[in-house]
Amino acid sequence: MKTYDLIIVGAGPGGSMAAKTAAENGLKTIFFERGRKPGEKNSSGCGLGPRMWKDFPSMMKYLTPEKCPSLRAGAAARNYFINEKGIVVGYVMTRPTESVSYEPAKSWITMNCYRSDFDPWIAKFATDAGAELKNSTLIVNLLKEDGKICGVVDEHGEKYKAPIVIGADGAVSMVAKQSGLRTKWAQDQITVTPQYDFFAPPNKIDDIMGDEALAVWWSAIFPASYQVFFHDGFHQGLGNWLNKWDKNPLFYLNRVINLKYYQRLLKILDAKPRELQSHLLPWLKYPYNTHTDGVILIGDAGGFPCPLEAEGIYPAMVTGKIAAEVATEAITSEDISKSALSKFDEMWKKTSVGEEFEAGEELYNIWKAMPFSPKETMSWFVPMFMEVMGGIYDWSQPHAKRVRQIAAHIKSYMPKALPFIMKYVFPLVAKIFENDLDRIMDPQKLMSVIPKIMDLIPKKKKQRREKV
Amino acid sequence: MKIEIDGLTKHILGTGDFISIDISKCNNCGGCILVCLVNLWSRKDNRIYISEDYKEKCLECAACYQVCDAGAISFQYPAGGTGVIYEKG
Repeated sequence: MKTYDLIIVGAGPGGSMAAKTAAENGLKTIFFERGRKPGEKNSSGCGLGPRMWKDFPSMMKYLTPEKCPSLRAGAAARNYFINEKGIVVGYVMTRPTESVSYEPAKSWITMNCYRSDFDPWIAKFATDAGAELKNSTLIVNLLKEDGKICGVVDEHGEKYKAPIVIGADGAVSMVAKQSGLRTKWAQDQITVTPQYDFFAPPNKIDDIMGDEALAVWWSAIFPASYQVFFHDGFHQGLGNWLNKWDKNPLFYLNRVINLKYYQRLLKILDAKPRELQSHLLPWLKYPYNTHTDGVILIGDAGGFPCPLEAEGIYPAMVTGKIAAEVATEAITSEDISKSALSKFDEMWKKTSVGEEFEAGEELYNIWKAMPFSPKETMSWFVPMFMEVMGGIYDWSQPHAKRVRQIAAHIKSYMPKALPFIMKYVFPLVAKIFENDLDRIMDPQKLMSVIPKIMDLIPKKKKQRREKV
Repeated sequence: MKIEIDGLTKHILGTGDFISIDISKCNNCGGCILVCLVNLWSRKDNRIYISEDYKEKCLECAACYQVCDAGAISFQYPAGGTGVIYEKG
């Protein structure tokens, strides 16, 4: 039996960050990867955000195209809107706005790279710091003595002993299960995410997409689908909670691919399907049961992906680092009890990840009710939004008459839009602004005011010229 | 362009069994059939089966395991160094 100070199950970005931190703190650390190398089992998450450069500058400055050939930074995001007939009825392209406060966030919104590039890159920081990486090894159980967790067992029965085990083993976490922290996710806590990777020549991507990093396809006929551009290809994927599918997830992803607009995009990009991928992604209102005696769960295993857009790399790195700091302190003070490890919760709650979860429930609810409810919500949202955005680009009527036509049409959506705003938008706004807006955002008040505002728009043309 | 999914996945063979179904617990809800992207589950004579060649096709997402509220499906990842490989994931 081999003995360590700290065992980490999983060598994704969270596991590697924990291993690096622990090794730097002088702990004898081992981390396990079931693939032949880190990243070859993973298929999502690599739209890296600028917060990583803010929080981990000494690492991220080394992330270069030489190290990660798939790397592609982009400043722009595109939002496509697709109606019930499968027609792209509009799109909005955005870039970092004037209120964005720091570099590199002013220059790009995400830095995209494949996990097969990124995960080995970040694991090397851990091995360079002295942590031992064991590849091609599946950890199948926790080692227990007198009912207390004291290590792990691999698929060959080999035992590894350590006072603390960090579960960095993803959505279907053995560590969570065997430690009793969680048997399974509830179906409204976990999404399944099918995804295609397409090859496209880098010059085509540059010429056609410019510096667009990603796109979201908002639709009335499939759950919102994301598109992320890499150096020589792109991902197209979508997800939904497990209890929300009425057909095979691939049926809905193929609906994206089969859009006329999308087919044209594939053609001009000279794109070819290259890989089919699927993974589970925890999507929670708030993480809970993150630790017990001798065990801490981080990243996806702990349910930390962002409650709005479910990006998981950054939260995994943040929680991985904190877990290793807490483990170091617990091992040094020889107290690995649940109450000693509760410092983990205290610490992540103070980070940018914790701040994200302060409105976790509201973000989760609005996302679930809107882009992930194509039939119920997007079917009226898309035409209403396009009426606002694009209605005026029309020469079918005199312009003033056209404006009245648009206003009347928008008004017709109000019976659906107002209850939605009250149920999902108000709670989020109230949470974000810490209830300061209570007075003006009172739903009752707004319900009575909005129809009046709509009534201010004249229904009949006034005869202005008669008296002239 | 209609996408043929055959040929879009790569597997390293050599794992033992890693998914199984306990028919005595199965309530025949069909959730596993619905969520499996590569259609590894099927129903025959009112009984749920996993395809014999699942080890060469499974994407290891574990959606079948997660969706099974009856707790009839067991899932463990395949042996270290085997199974699906994502080169562009």
